[in-house]
Amino acid sequence: MYQSKWRIFTNHAILILGALFMIMPVWIAFVSSTHTREFVFQNGLQFWPGEHFFENYGAILFDPSATKGRVTALEMLFNSMVLGLGFAIGKVIISMMAAYAIVYFRFKLAVPLFWVVFSTLLLPLEVRIVPSYEVVASLGLLNTYTGLILPLIASATGTFFFRQFYRSVPDELLEAARLDGAGPIRFFIDILVPLSVTMIAAIFIIMFVVGWNQYLWPLLMTTDDQLYTIVIGIKQVYNSLYEGGQIPQFPKAFALTIMATIPPVLVVVVFQRMFVKGLVETEK
Amino acid sequence: MATVTLNQAEKTYANGYKAIHGIDLEIQHGEFTVLVGPSGCGKSTLLRMIAGLESISDGEISIDDKVVNKVAPADRDIAMVFQNYALYPHMSNYNNMAYGLRNRGHSKSEIDSKVREAARILQLEDHLERKPSQLSGGQRQRVAMGRAIVRQPKVFLFDEPLSNLDAKLRVDMRLEIKNLQQRLGITSVYVTHDQVEAMTLADRLIVMKGGIAEQIGSPIDIYEKPETLFVAGFIGSPAMNFLPGKVSDDRTHVVVGDKVKLDLDHDVEAGRNVTVGIRPEHFRLCGDDAGPVSASVRMVESLGAETLVYLDFGIGNENVTLRVQGTHQFAKGTVLTLSITPDMIHLFDSETGKRI
Ligand SMILES: Nc1ncnc2c1ncn2[C@@H]1O[C@H](COP(=O)(O)OP(=O)(O)OP(=O)(O)O)[C@@H](O)[C@H]1O
Ligand SMILES: [Mg+2]
Repeated sequence: MYQSKWRIFTNHAILILGALFMIMPVWIAFVSSTHTREFVFQNGLQFWPGEHFFENYGAILFDPSATKGRVTALEMLFNSMVLGLGFAIGKVIISMMAAYAIVYFRFKLAVPLFWVVFSTLLLPLEVRIVPSYEVVASLGLLNTYTGLILPLIASATGTFFFRQFYRSVPDELLEAARLDGAGPIRFFIDILVPLSVTMIAAIFIIMFVVGWNQYLWPLLMTTDDQLYTIVIGIKQVYNSLYEGGQIPQFPKAFALTIMATIPPVLVVVVFQRMFVKGLVETEK
Repeated sequence: MATVTLNQAEKTYANGYKAIHGIDLEIQHGEFTVLVGPSGCGKSTLLRMIAGLESISDGEISIDDKVVNKVAPADRDIAMVFQNYALYPHMSNYNNMAYGLRNRGHSKSEIDSKVREAARILQLEDHLERKPSQLSGGQRQRVAMGRAIVRQPKVFLFDEPLSNLDAKLRVDMRLEIKNLQQRLGITSVYVTHDQVEAMTLADRLIVMKGGIAEQIGSPIDIYEKPETLFVAGFIGSPAMNFLPGKVSDDRTHVVVGDKVKLDLDHDVEAGRNVTVGIRPEHFRLCGDDAGPVSASVRMVESLGAETLVYLDFGIGNENVTLRVQGTHQFAKGTVLTLSITPDMIHLFDSETGKRI
């Protein structure tokens, strides 16, 4: 398409402005986290980095008092990681298997069951959070990773996407595999799973980020600081900024926020590679 | 090597559609059987019933005298080549061929030697490490064949394996398949709607229509003695000419339209209404001599080695096709005189379409 110089210039200007608009808050949070609290309190938000990067991040990562609780950011990151990974991996596995059953096994209730699963898409977690809490509590799973993850790993979205994907896989592949002596489990592992790599990566990214950002659920499920996730930690730190008549700890709060964003960004970057690679390979 | 026997095999799909109406068939050891017929006549269904991919609603299918109605596809010891190849896209060609052997628990070295042998036969040695997506259509087809032959099954099943290839490759692959099948001597059932493939490959040809076997026989038998109008029209290209006719009172002629009279040596009653079938290649041009039939030229198609001439036989708008060797130039309206020997004339009952 022909584009005049003007056109190119304005297009780029708009894009660059948009990008700056998105990045500025992150940049401000980051550079402000590298000053002392007194400096930030006196001079407001900063636009250029200061000299206290290691000091502030070190304190946040390893000193529980910096996060206003009895856990360090490192421990909270670990908890979030467990939640995010458990959530994403669990959802991928469960929804792949559910979709496999729905698409490849002709049992009587397959279609109604699918619609039941599908309709739960419409129900956000908040709707069932109280009953779920009851169940977890009566199973004695409060304050455990299992209790944190297990009730969330059924995924209507994932099941739906895998179902759509499986339906696009030619029937002849299944037939060829049957003739080749592959049973249902072999077919799933040897053929369907490798073909779904792109799909798995996509759903994994989405689910990891969703899991990582869970707030309400872990807040309800955990009363023990040792299980706090980083999102809860952030909330807690911001809540206590103006407590006790001290100078607010803005730099460390920002540091915590920045750290909380790094793992999801890494996951997206790494898996996007795989995702794109998968796309390119199947296209050929 | 194996025999395949169908005994009143029937298929009714879950939606109540009856695709196969009871077929009896006996396929001998090492025989190459071709199922041919128009789209939707149930060829694939029948093949898939033999493979075990579709259940058998009624009747029996046996392989080597063992009824296999309830035997799983993998245990029937058959291999199938699909129209769209159905290769596993994420596996190398080597693994595509090896997969069935692995599932059957063959040893690594055994698998390796079998796959390499198949690759050698099919000239795929250089492509084993690649993925199917990196091959041409013909090569993919070969990998699919390789996947079938490594297992040395009792029966090969082919469902239109060549229809995704271009015309030239199709001819090459056709020869290759025939060659391979003869060399390996494996009983084969081959589905196609291409009648050249059907004629050239088949030891025995089954012409299907609407879920029944219209005629079973050697290709030449079917060409020379089609049992029904449908078979007569389906086998042979260009298709057989069909002319409405009436047997003369002295039973020596059949009269077509108002001017054409053809000699007969059939035993038919006088005055019977029949459909006369004549293949385009069975007319003979009589040059300048007076022949029994004269007709004017409507159109000419030159194919180089042969020429197709469309003639006006005085039976309405319908053309009669004539096929002559070599190239000929006939102007439109030229009157040609033709002859035909009585044994090249096929008669069919006008009502039932059965051969007389
Ligand atoms: N799963 C199914 N359920 C219901 N009817 C079916 C099913 N599969 C095929 N049919 C019908 O059965 C008939 C035979 O189908 P089949 O696929 O055997 O045809 P075919 O002879 O192989 O045709 P083609 O040359 O187009 O491949 C068709 O009329 C088709 O619509
Ligand atoms: Mg078919």
